[in-house]
Amino acid sequence: MVSGTLSTSKMVDADETEYLRDVKPLLARKCYGCHGAIRQEAELRLDTVQWMQHGGDSGPAINRKDAGASLLLERVTAEEYAGRMPPEGEPLTEKQVSLLRQWLDSGAKAPADEAPQADPLTHWAFQPLPAENVPPQVRDAKHPVDAFIRKNLTELGISPAPQASALTLIRRMFLDLHGLPPTLDELDYWSRKLELCEPPADDADGLRLHERAVQELIDYLLASPRYGERHAQSWLDMIRYADTHGFEVNTPRPHAWPYRDYVIRAINEDKPYDQFIVEQLAGDTIGQPTATGFLVAAAVLLPGQIGKDDESIRLARQDALDEIIVGTSGSLLGLTVGCARCHDHKFDPISQADYYGMQAFFAGVEYGDREISDLGGKLESQETANSEKSTLVFAGVFRSPDETYVLSRGNPEQRLERMGPRIPESLGSVELAIGSDEHARRVALAQWIASPENPLTSRVMVNRIWQSHFGTGLVETPSDFGLNGATPSHPELLDWLAAEFIRCNWSVKQLRRLILTSHTYQQSSRFDEAARIQDSDGRLLWRYPSRRLEAEAIRDSVLQVTGRLNLTMGGPGFDFFTSRGGLSGFPPLDTFGENELRRMIYSHKVRMESVPVFGAFDCPDAGQATPTRSRSTTAIQALNLFNSPFMNDQAVVLAERIIAEIGSDPDRQVELSFRQTLGRAPTATESSQVLQIVEEHGLSTLCRVLLNSNEFLFLP
Amino acid sequence: MKSRSPVASPLNSLTPMGQELLRRREFLDRTVTGLSAVALTSLLDGERLLASESAEIEIEQTRPHAPRTGHYPAKAKRVLVIFCAGACSQLETYDFKPELIKRDGQPLVGGPAVTFQGPSGDLARPQYAFQPHGESGKMVSDMIPHLAGLVDDIAFVHSLTSKSNTHGPAENFLSTGFVLDGFPSMGAWATYALGTENQELPAFVAIPDPRGVPQASVNNWGPGFLPAVFQGTPFSSTQPIQNLRPPAYISPSADHAARQLLQTLNREHLERFPGDSELAARIASYELAAKMQLSVPSISDLSTETAGTLRMYGADSPNETKASFARNCLLARRLLESGVRFVQLFNGAYASAGALNWDGHEKLREQYDVHGEILDQPAAALFRDLKQRGLLDDTLVVWCTEFGRMPMFQKGAAGRDHNPQGFTAWLGGAGIKPGVSYGATDELGFKAVENVLSVHDLHATILHLLGLDHTNLTFRHNGIDRRLTDVHGHVIQEILA
Repeated sequence: MVSGTLSTSKMVDADETEYLRDVKPLLARKCYGCHGAIRQEAELRLDTVQWMQHGGDSGPAINRKDAGASLLLERVTAEEYAGRMPPEGEPLTEKQVSLLRQWLDSGAKAPADEAPQADPLTHWAFQPLPAENVPPQVRDAKHPVDAFIRKNLTELGISPAPQASALTLIRRMFLDLHGLPPTLDELDYWSRKLELCEPPADDADGLRLHERAVQELIDYLLASPRYGERHAQSWLDMIRYADTHGFEVNTPRPHAWPYRDYVIRAINEDKPYDQFIVEQLAGDTIGQPTATGFLVAAAVLLPGQIGKDDESIRLARQDALDEIIVGTSGSLLGLTVGCARCHDHKFDPISQADYYGMQAFFAGVEYGDREISDLGGKLESQETANSEKSTLVFAGVFRSPDETYVLSRGNPEQRLERMGPRIPESLGSVELAIGSDEHARRVALAQWIASPENPLTSRVMVNRIWQSHFGTGLVETPSDFGLNGATPSHPELLDWLAAEFIRCNWSVKQLRRLILTSHTYQQSSRFDEAARIQDSDGRLLWRYPSRRLEAEAIRDSVLQVTGRLNLTMGGPGFDFFTSRGGLSGFPPLDTFGENELRRMIYSHKVRMESVPVFGAFDCPDAGQATPTRSRSTTAIQALNLFNSPFMNDQAVVLAERIIAEIGSDPDRQVELSFRQTLGRAPTATESSQVLQIVEEHGLSTLCRVLLNSNEFLFLP
Repeated sequence: MKSRSPVASPLNSLTPMGQELLRRREFLDRTVTGLSAVALTSLLDGERLLASESAEIEIEQTRPHAPRTGHYPAKAKRVLVIFCAGACSQLETYDFKPELIKRDGQPLVGGPAVTFQGPSGDLARPQYAFQPHGESGKMVSDMIPHLAGLVDDIAFVHSLTSKSNTHGPAENFLSTGFVLDGFPSMGAWATYALGTENQELPAFVAIPDPRGVPQASVNNWGPGFLPAVFQGTPFSSTQPIQNLRPPAYISPSADHAARQLLQTLNREHLERFPGDSELAARIASYELAAKMQLSVPSISDLSTETAGTLRMYGADSPNETKASFARNCLLARRLLESGVRFVQLFNGAYASAGALNWDGHEKLREQYDVHGEILDQPAAALFRDLKQRGLLDDTLVVWCTEFGRMPMFQKGAAGRDHNPQGFTAWLGGAGIKPGVSYGATDELGFKAVENVLSVHDLHATILHLLGLDHTNLTFRHNGIDRRLTDVHGHVIQEILA
């Protein structure tokens, strides 16, 4: 909490104001990267006025007696060839220079107690999890998650929303955990169960019964294979999985899907997360080679697309390795190591040498198909959509490592010192010999990342899990836990969950259970105007953040309610386009057989190409990693959902299904349409609004409307 | 638009968490003076809550394309990019090299033995004759006689360089500033920053060539990691927007009733969540979609154009491809005229050994005779039409291609290999100094040697003319404040009016 001392605003000089408001942020942006806490080029720091006066190799940076003679001013206004600062990027604008000059002219004033930029090594995410971290004592908050959340709310005098209704909660949990609404039977069963034990507010026994019923529901949902199909998607988004190679030719990558199935299976089996990591980085050493599809999920130039000249070949190799470094460090560690390819990281303690140290772990990795015989029968045991058994898997192919060098400005033609595999120095001291064995490299890296001692791994993953249930993570930048990333909204909660995750043997299901049993998750999404004024984007979680479903959940839910969804799991992807890859464009497929009505995660994912109708709902293109989907609202989405033949055909199918079930009574048709799509009966007002339209234009018109309605498309 | 520090208010220079703290503080105190806010800023800075960069645009959820002002007054209100896919040779268009005529058939001493596709052959003269044109006397090849007539209205840059010698990555680079897949296209950046003036048409339209999509396909108009609302909408005279109308079996009255009912149910639903702007935005999106159902067919209906106009563009040509491209050019004019912010008009399709685009590896002259005929008259007519309607005053036109071609022929072939080290683009219209040429390649057109430019510089210039500082137009993605120009780019001042 911000302390009260602020309101007793100490006297701040106008020139100091100018410094804090205008000058310091400018210096922070333009100079601190090389002249701050993280790095001191030429022994110079500019993060406090005292440091400026102290100066560096060329003497003091500022001259209070003769502002115009300040070295700082001289260097930022120098010509580019005469050592202008900053050396890269745009020079300071005239306006910025005059701000600086003005402040120097008036005596370069700053608050006496100006604090230097903090040591980057003290950054919260790099610290070990605290040994002692118990949930706070908060009235009416038994559940540890609620205790942490409630503490912040109580301080602001905000009350959490009341418990969501049984119908809402069931629908929310199905959509959240399966990406599908409950069937009518499921809805009836679980609502009876939950409503039967809906507790009077003060009845402790009733409360326990209700809790137990909800827990049963959670277990039911987590045990279903639909759960893995739903939650594998965000992992695939993050590592930019696709079934084509990308770039210009975008040819099919026909053997990529076994990795997709591996992820779904791992999630359904609740494979401990530490093991999941090790398998994806070095699964070939423990009988899980398919898992190494993780390393090579990105787009890559095929040999024929790379120039025949040596420079082109070397550059393409560096680009391919860069994707592995960026993918691994972003997804598993929440670090933007890729920023250090050409220069030291501007915000995080990651040097260019650190980058190439990381590269050396992967120096023997190639993108390619590998023989299934490596699988040791693992794949054969799995059910696939078609009986034809694939003999190849697109995954890491491993060979004797290339020599790794630090490259000046990332240029493969300008080698500097040779590097062996090692993790960034600021994070620890895992280091292997320059000539070490290829397998040993990836195993060492995997063990370091999957270690309970690694301060980032658990925090990063629990944050992703939290994000999957609330839409936003406790840290808003899920793949950047560095100094430029967002600060956690609830740091103690994040740390507590991270410790729990390790304690329960990295069980993702267990962690989800923990979150889903909280009131914070089970509260309603009602709006509270007073709370909204204080916390407009709802980060403090005084309501459940309702939000639009993702493309896959929308499509799969439509098929679920029309009864057309084909639940066959695994195997080669079905097509959305008439082409599976290549140059000449991707016309959408316009007829759909059984196979095309499987869950969307089983589609053949064409990199960069937007899937007909549903792609417009912010489907990632698998170009760059997508740890958080954007959630935009566009007229194209509306056109697609309202007008597309697919959606209108589904409306007709739904109407036929309802009529077949219930007969010709319009009242009963309307009732069932609402229950089937929205999981509730229509209100009296709605019935009256709807009946005439059904009579005039047929039931399919109503079904078309319901499948387009906000209530159908939103996680309640 | 939020402006970036140093002129930002303390609130704007905070991370979301910092802002949240400040909002909480505002609630408690309700009298945050400038002074205490500054004190807070300094406190938060100490805790490293200050965002180092924070120039993200605030997007109104119900009107994501509402017109927004840039960083400073704009010269150009809208942009037309004419993109010749496949790498249109500088040596057969605008970069006249008499020395290459002299040295025709000689080896390039010290030149590369192997280029992109394989072994190099000998130097080869420009495959077309060049004539001086206009008052500026600019030399232009006989392949494009109509375009040659524009030289006094446009500014050439002859010293562009690319980061890649491969079509896909280089098209990515030209359209997104990165060779990798997955970055936002320039049209996406422009509409993210500025919205658009006509709310009933897409803000950013990509018009693919009648022969097919360009090599990097949708990457050229993709949103990357920007919200999907900023992606280009692809359509052309031959390929309409998908799902603009419901299937034929739905009667207009049923369609109307459905639309009414949907809005009624959605409004009733919204009443239960009065503060939820996402719900409100979806209601608005259906209203906009209904408008687009009318506005898009009417903008695509060329029957209102006079026979003279159709003839000027070559839309009456017996050459089907040329006539289709001409109709695409007309569509581009109509979109720009209606206030569409960004139009990307493609000439040339995907790799096809040069048959469908400008990738003349083997039989350059033969293929360029075909491609030149398709491009020349329609594109020149489009430019002239914009001018005569006064639209050029505030429309920027950019003609470009992903890279250039080698001065040598490939060994055993009559065509040129990829050359990212020196190629030509031109700009005309809003804010551009007419009739000038800037930068130069060497005497053979092999490498840029004078005022060497990168594609980033071209991007910086386009944004500049739109009133945007390319270093200040950012979007935070995976921990990085991404820009169209990465960490590079300088505005090409020398070609500005």
